[in-house]
Amino acid sequence: MKVRTEGLTRTFRVGSSEIAAVDRVDLEINEPDFIAIVGRSGSGKSTLLNLIGLNDRPTSGKIFIDDADASQLSSSQRRNTRLFRMGFVFQTFNLFPILNALENVELPMALAGKPRGLQSERATSLLKAVGLDKRLHHRPKQLSMGEMQRVAVARAMANNPEVIIADEPTGELDSGTAFEIITLLHDINRKDRKTVIIATHDEKIVALADAVYAIHDGKMKIQN
Amino acid sequence: MRTALCVVGVVLATTFIVAAGATTMRYTTVIKEISVLFNGQVMVVSSGTIVIQAVPIGGGMLPQNLTDSKVRSIVGVEKTVPILFLTPIGIGGALQAVPVNFSIGIPVDSWSFIIGPTPLKGDGGHFPSNASSSEVVAGASLADEHGWTVGTKIVVNGYQLEVVGILDTKLALLNRCVLMSLELAQKVYNYPESVNVITAKPSQGYSEKGLADMIEGNVTYVNALTEDERNDMIQPVLSQMETWNLGLEAAIFLLSLILVMTVTTMSVSERRRDFATLDAIGAPLSYVLKIVIVEASLIGVLSGALGLVSGSLGALILASVFTNIPLTQFFPSIFEIVPPLYMVEMFLSVVLVCCLGGAVPAVNAARTRIAEVLRAEY
Repeated sequence: MKVRTEGLTRTFRVGSSEIAAVDRVDLEINEPDFIAIVGRSGSGKSTLLNLIGLNDRPTSGKIFIDDADASQLSSSQRRNTRLFRMGFVFQTFNLFPILNALENVELPMALAGKPRGLQSERATSLLKAVGLDKRLHHRPKQLSMGEMQRVAVARAMANNPEVIIADEPTGELDSGTAFEIITLLHDINRKDRKTVIIATHDEKIVALADAVYAIHDGKMKIQN
Repeated sequence: MRTALCVVGVVLATTFIVAAGATTMRYTTVIKEISVLFNGQVMVVSSGTIVIQAVPIGGGMLPQNLTDSKVRSIVGVEKTVPILFLTPIGIGGALQAVPVNFSIGIPVDSWSFIIGPTPLKGDGGHFPSNASSSEVVAGASLADEHGWTVGTKIVVNGYQLEVVGILDTKLALLNRCVLMSLELAQKVYNYPESVNVITAKPSQGYSEKGLADMIEGNVTYVNALTEDERNDMIQPVLSQMETWNLGLEAAIFLLSLILVMTVTTMSVSERRRDFATLDAIGAPLSYVLKIVIVEASLIGVLSGALGLVSGSLGALILASVFTNIPLTQFFPSIFEIVPPLYMVEMFLSVVLVCCLGGAVPAVNAARTRIAEVLRAEY
């Protein structure tokens, strides 16, 4: 999946003033790049990822997905794009507490209408790939943070998306576990040829990235 | 814990609605079905007597022979039946909120004319055939309550009477009455040569209304009531009761709806992140709506089922309290007091109310966006 933005802007009204969380950002991400978006807390990284991931609408500017203007998509088309073409990994994992690891990974496939048998088979294989084949029936509460993030990565891969969007995936993890997750995402990029876009301030991720975009007060500052 | 308290709240609401609703419905049904008793006949009572459908309340007695011959002599009267209709019959003697025991004295040749083709239970029973005998026929409910069977001797006002048949009828009034010959009733209750009702059947070609007018014109001390007039007297009261009941049901359902809506809203707001994540991973709106509405409807299913059980029990207890009839006697007739159709109606109403209570929180859940949740968290 190729993603391109043109003058992408997202503003929020705080009291009487208007703050630009993302301010006229132009960027281009090709397949299968491993992209890092860096910046301090509040710099606009998450807002930019939400816009790219079609979870938010820009105040102005455009997002093109495979050269098609995503702003023209209906809510339902945006939802389908997220479901079938994108996978999301969050800083706080965002697993469903009442579902076990297997069910958490099966869920996107169930939403996509995949057959029950296939859901179970693929979820098991994905969890095995992230090293959790012995924790299939554990609920999030029974897993360590690193394990929860592995389940989240497996869930993001469930519908075989073209792009993985990860918002500070190592933010809650110790350095050893963080390294495992970084390696996992890097392997997905290299072996499975998936585009991976990560908002982070983890130096290890920056070191592995094909391109690094730095964002400061909503403006794109540096591009390597 | 919060959901459990919500279920308890809706169970209590359902209990109250079912108990009060079934009791009111049963009461109005019983009152309405009494009109079957003197169907198509003019009911002649003394002036000042209040008539509820076919039951005379208060008022004076009529001199039997004088009044009967005066009414019978009016052109357009095909047949008259003098009746002594008394309540209560004095068994138990406890204060009752509604009349539950009746004594009816009818001339022995007029049984079928008044009570229709009502059969007797089991073999060996018969209607009193002799005006001067001490034989009586009892309603099944009254007989069950006192353990009467064919051949049982009972004492009323010092007279020993013999039960010679048990009426097999669904009609509540007949179920709770002792039927005997008019002469015996006059003797037992000390109303010699007196009756309080005379029914007059119009001849062919004569209307009830026309006949009633003629009777009132010719016999100055009586009121002659047609079936419509008798219905009209009680209908406004019954309608008002039904309206009050509906209003009460609506108010309680509204409170239940607010309760379910509040609890579901709290539950949704606690799980904003989950709903936002569902949206982020591409779950259709209908999926999120379904989750919340199914949760709310489960509260309805559980509360509805428990509320129906406790409400039905409540209706039986109310019936027992109002009539002084032992509770156990109502168990076999639970589906007459709380009809199955009413149970289904109430159950579906409770589930519907809970679904409606979940609708607004469900829409809020479906509108939760990950960007908003993350912004609020960071």
